[in-house]
Amino acid sequence: MSGYRIGADIGGTFTDIVLLDEDGNVISKKISSSVENYALAIVEGLESVFAGHGVAPGEVAEIMHGTTVASNAILERAGARVGLVTSKGFRDVLELRNLRMPRLYDLTWEKPPPLVERYLRMVVDERVNAAGEVVRPLARDDARRAVRRLLDEGVEAIAICLVNSYANPVHERLIAEVAEELAPGLPCCTSFDVLPEIKEYERTSTTVVNTYVLPIVERYLRTLREALDSRGMAVPLLIMQSNGGLTPAAEAAVKPVNIVESGPAAGVVGARAIARQSGLENVISFDMGGTTAKASLIERGEYTRTREYSVGGGIMAGSRLLTGAGYLLNVPAIDLAEVGAGGGSIIRIDSGGSMQVGPRSAGARPGPVCYGLGGEAPTVTDANVVLGYLNPSFLCGGELRIDAAASARAIEAAVAEPLGFAPEHAAWGARQVAIANMIRAIRAVSSERGRDPREYALFAFGGNGALFAAGMAAELGMKTVVVPPAAGLFSAFGLLYAEIEHHYSRTVRRVLRDADPAAIDAVYRALEAQAVSQLAADGFDAAHRGHERTAMLHYQRQIYELEVPAPAGRIDRAALDTLAESFGREHERTYGHRAGAGEPVELVTAQVLGRGLSERPRVPERLSLAGRETGTGARRAYYGPALGWVDTPVVPRETLARGGGGEGPCIVEEYDSTCLVPPGVRARVDARGNLVLSL
Amino acid sequence: MSLHADPIDFELFKNALFAAADEMAVTVCRTTYSGVLRDNMDFSTSITDARGEVIAQGLTLPMHLGSVRTALAAVLAHYDDDMREGDVYALNDPFEGGMHLPDVFMFKPVFVNGERVAFACCTAHQADVGGRVPGSNAADSTEIYQEGLRIPPMKLLDGGARNETLWRLIERNVRIPVQVFGDLRAQLAACEIAEREIRVQIARYGLEPARAMMREMLDYTEHMTKAALSKLPDGEYDFEDWIDDDGVDFGKPIRLFVTVRKSGDRIAFDWAGSAPQVKGAINATLSVTQATSFTAIRSILPPDIPNNDGTFRAVEVTAPRGSIANMELPGACAARGLTGFRMLDCAFGALAKMAPDKVCAASDGGNVGISVGGYHADRSPFIYVDFTCGTWGGRPFADGLEGNSNLLANMAAQSVEVSEIENPVEILANELVADACGAGRFRGGAPFYRDYRMSEEEAIVQVRSDRQTHRPYGLFGGRPGAPGAVVLNPREEARPLTSKVTMTCRRGDVVRWVLPGGGGWGDPLEREPERVLRDVRNELVSPAAAERDYGVVIDTERRAVDEAATVRLRARRRAARGGGTIPFVTRDDA
Repeated sequence: MSGYRIGADIGGTFTDIVLLDEDGNVISKKISSSVENYALAIVEGLESVFAGHGVAPGEVAEIMHGTTVASNAILERAGARVGLVTSKGFRDVLELRNLRMPRLYDLTWEKPPPLVERYLRMVVDERVNAAGEVVRPLARDDARRAVRRLLDEGVEAIAICLVNSYANPVHERLIAEVAEELAPGLPCCTSFDVLPEIKEYERTSTTVVNTYVLPIVERYLRTLREALDSRGMAVPLLIMQSNGGLTPAAEAAVKPVNIVESGPAAGVVGARAIARQSGLENVISFDMGGTTAKASLIERGEYTRTREYSVGGGIMAGSRLLTGAGYLLNVPAIDLAEVGAGGGSIIRIDSGGSMQVGPRSAGARPGPVCYGLGGEAPTVTDANVVLGYLNPSFLCGGELRIDAAASARAIEAAVAEPLGFAPEHAAWGARQVAIANMIRAIRAVSSERGRDPREYALFAFGGNGALFAAGMAAELGMKTVVVPPAAGLFSAFGLLYAEIEHHYSRTVRRVLRDADPAAIDAVYRALEAQAVSQLAADGFDAAHRGHERTAMLHYQRQIYELEVPAPAGRIDRAALDTLAESFGREHERTYGHRAGAGEPVELVTAQVLGRGLSERPRVPERLSLAGRETGTGARRAYYGPALGWVDTPVVPRETLARGGGGEGPCIVEEYDSTCLVPPGVRARVDARGNLVLSL
Repeated sequence: MSLHADPIDFELFKNALFAAADEMAVTVCRTTYSGVLRDNMDFSTSITDARGEVIAQGLTLPMHLGSVRTALAAVLAHYDDDMREGDVYALNDPFEGGMHLPDVFMFKPVFVNGERVAFACCTAHQADVGGRVPGSNAADSTEIYQEGLRIPPMKLLDGGARNETLWRLIERNVRIPVQVFGDLRAQLAACEIAEREIRVQIARYGLEPARAMMREMLDYTEHMTKAALSKLPDGEYDFEDWIDDDGVDFGKPIRLFVTVRKSGDRIAFDWAGSAPQVKGAINATLSVTQATSFTAIRSILPPDIPNNDGTFRAVEVTAPRGSIANMELPGACAARGLTGFRMLDCAFGALAKMAPDKVCAASDGGNVGISVGGYHADRSPFIYVDFTCGTWGGRPFADGLEGNSNLLANMAAQSVEVSEIENPVEILANELVADACGAGRFRGGAPFYRDYRMSEEEAIVQVRSDRQTHRPYGLFGGRPGAPGAVVLNPREEARPLTSKVTMTCRRGDVVRWVLPGGGGWGDPLEREPERVLRDVRNELVSPAAAERDYGVVIDTERRAVDEAATVRLRARRRAARGGGTIPFVTRDDA
């Protein structure tokens, strides 16, 4: 593959574009997102970058894309008019959800309205039992009646989810067949195809979300494809999935449920790649933007995935206890913990006299007070201006003016004066509270799972990540911080590192010691066959296809599962024993205890990940970034009551690349982000251009 | 209020302890062997100071708030002076600190330099603690001695070593020891997590400053609670309601009565006037009554008040000894949750007089519990326990929720498919019921029902429910919700059963329970016709009920409101009422 590889990441306010050539030269650009037509925004953005750097469309090799089109369709309730066919007696599974609410003591709570209203949910008379046996056959006429009624209601897509269908999809298939007969070409998704796993609510919800966004995603990807083709870029278009792998646009259009968390995944993929290059096995990624901060764990060079998350539920307070907000999805996604803390988080004093930061955010509009766009409440960014960490006159290379005096006035009035503090001390305190809030996200992915954050390096990116990284690391006892080049654009960058991945899973509930190994072997082989056929369709030959097996297991009667690698090759008795032992070890590592050897371990889900392997590394180790202006000079910055105000040089990244780096305090001010190196912290730049802080 | 501690240190310290309490809860959820803990979240975690006042409670079961200090006081009464590092204490006896036998309280004292500084606490509902009925939660036991193993405050671990006497006694007295031991391990692991974090925090701030901040966390909550209470109107507000019966003396209603006295920054819930304790197993300990009263008031206060015992400095809860709200020996109490839920409805009724714009009409009256237990052909035991609630009364600003847990217990439903694969039952239906929500300007939530078919030769089935004869009340003109029901073999004999029942079922028998519907809020004639149309379209309200209950005429052909006919019908209805005032509460059809 020769030519430019392009990463394009659409965010709420900005679309970030990164071009990489084979020699490691990088061109990057932030453009404003056009909300009316994202597809057009990308193509026009690309053309403006091409024009500025003398690149021809024919020089593009492939395009990797992270998109919020699916999640926006859900957040804005702008998906398709979907009809749902389900089993008699279970019409309301989608609406009853799992009954839980995300807040305690809240009489004003409203449930998110179901994506399919009750009158569009039809039942059919049938029954498959838990063993997969047909107890009550489905009459074709009954299926026809249900589908016809939905068509009469003018549905644009049909979702099908029957009770116990994970064990036998025969009735779902029959309904899909009838739908195709009555309405050829109408999008129709069966739960068995979307998620052949136990738990009726989770499966129904996932299937409905897939169906709900499918027509929108399909249309969007088709428009983008046509626009690219018509402008001379008939090259592969790959979409970032929530699970961290890429998938061809055509496949994403069939299973859009996999790209709902497309946006945040790319940064973690990039973090993993750079961590591997740098020889860092264990890393916690930390992505802090304007409203939220997200953390994720990378262990032995692999990120962790979750199988259950909600979209559109707002930001959880770092606690994973209270579920029930938003729309549940049970597909693999990079496991991110998110808290409502970012540059725009508002600082206030509550009625008990304690300082609160966030989760309310001033957002992009009105934004922090210092932006002068009408914001009146002081924010975390204002605190960073008062502390001298951020440039007091402008940001983004001059594109954004900063009014430092306005920040100081707001902090004084809302925080410092009521507490009787000096403004810098109040700002310092707000920063410490924001750090404490964000630590909850890091703990959720580390200590809550038995991992000690001190054994990990902190990999920081996003608009505000580098500003807080050293402070976070100090609080957590972490020794190393890594800030990649173009940290503020890193999500687009991360796309370049991703590879094609397809995930397949199946419920196979068997107690290992009583299980027939051949039956489990057959399931893994069937899942691998699915992976092989998809990868072959993507154009990977046998030498460039890889699979990994994993298993979700628990002690019999436990309800929550842990994921462990499953043995490759033929599954025999010994392989099952190995699996049981790995599970016991993982349980001990995660929760600090394991059951006795006699306690039966149960397999719940078999999973296979198929990977398309590249000839050579997707991104050269050495990159050169063009046209990156950095700030210079010096200013006073405040480092807490013990150190007070200290003169702090503003240095370009390159300075720290020479002679073994330098000692904090110093500030590295770049186009898309600012990195703070506090006193006592050493900073250097490694061979790949990463800023490495040692605490 | 101004804090004595540095406001920044204080916020950090407070967050760290609450995060630790939540982290304990995550551990329990993820390692438990029982659906009752993970899905029904019938457990709680907390951290107390050295004297046993809760300073941070995890986001867990509201019904447990307030119970920890009572339980810990019982432990301290025995062991205060000779606790040492590595000890763990446990109890479940409702007559000495507990709530009902399935709830096992566990306490781990935390020491720093040989000095006790805090306790890590975890309370969890065990799936079975022995007794006459599998699941240990029968409503028709008549004395505590039938309900299972009673554990007074005892050492579970002694200086880090297991107290084998207690462990072996537990093993011999519960039906599935592997499950109980698995959950006890989860509780122990949770306590260790808290211990570790408390030590980290004390190392960071120093012992004395940490202690001062612990005290201040209680002061802070007290202050926040009092500030919010001051904004509510002073006065005395009472309310009464009835539980159908106790499952032993069938047909004999049980009175609940509460007087709420609000004065300045304090509020008191006085349950004098409630019935004497009953034979059936629905008697509440005072700690249940406290938790319930607190949940009621807490639900109308601002959301940012921390969960700890500081609140109780502003909220007083009393109940006469020997009453259903404060039982004495030998009262049976396994199903005391039912009374807790009903006391919440009752307390809300009183609060609705004080804050009419904040409080909902009656909800479903709490969860329906079903346990199915027995033995497989090979004599191995099975126990399936499922608690479900999900219907709220109409609110002054919105319809009651449907398919949403009760405020007193943020329980999740267990998956039908998982229940079927693990237990000898098939669940044939789990669906909303039409024409069962109380009509109102804001209607009550629609209830749902479940059908369970037994697939083992024989099983003891126990159902605990209520509100068959005393329906969820409506407020300010809203109508009451439909009564609940329990039915045996609904498709064949359709035999109605009492709300509390224990029976032996055979393979193929189907047991159905139907939740009661939520009560309505406000005059149904004022409900927007479009909302009624939507309910009709969604088949939650029939066209006939739309006319009868709301005076809304639906043109079913056009699927639209017949505006003119509706205006005429509503005018006629209003005229027929005469000039009477809108009643505050409606408990039954006129």
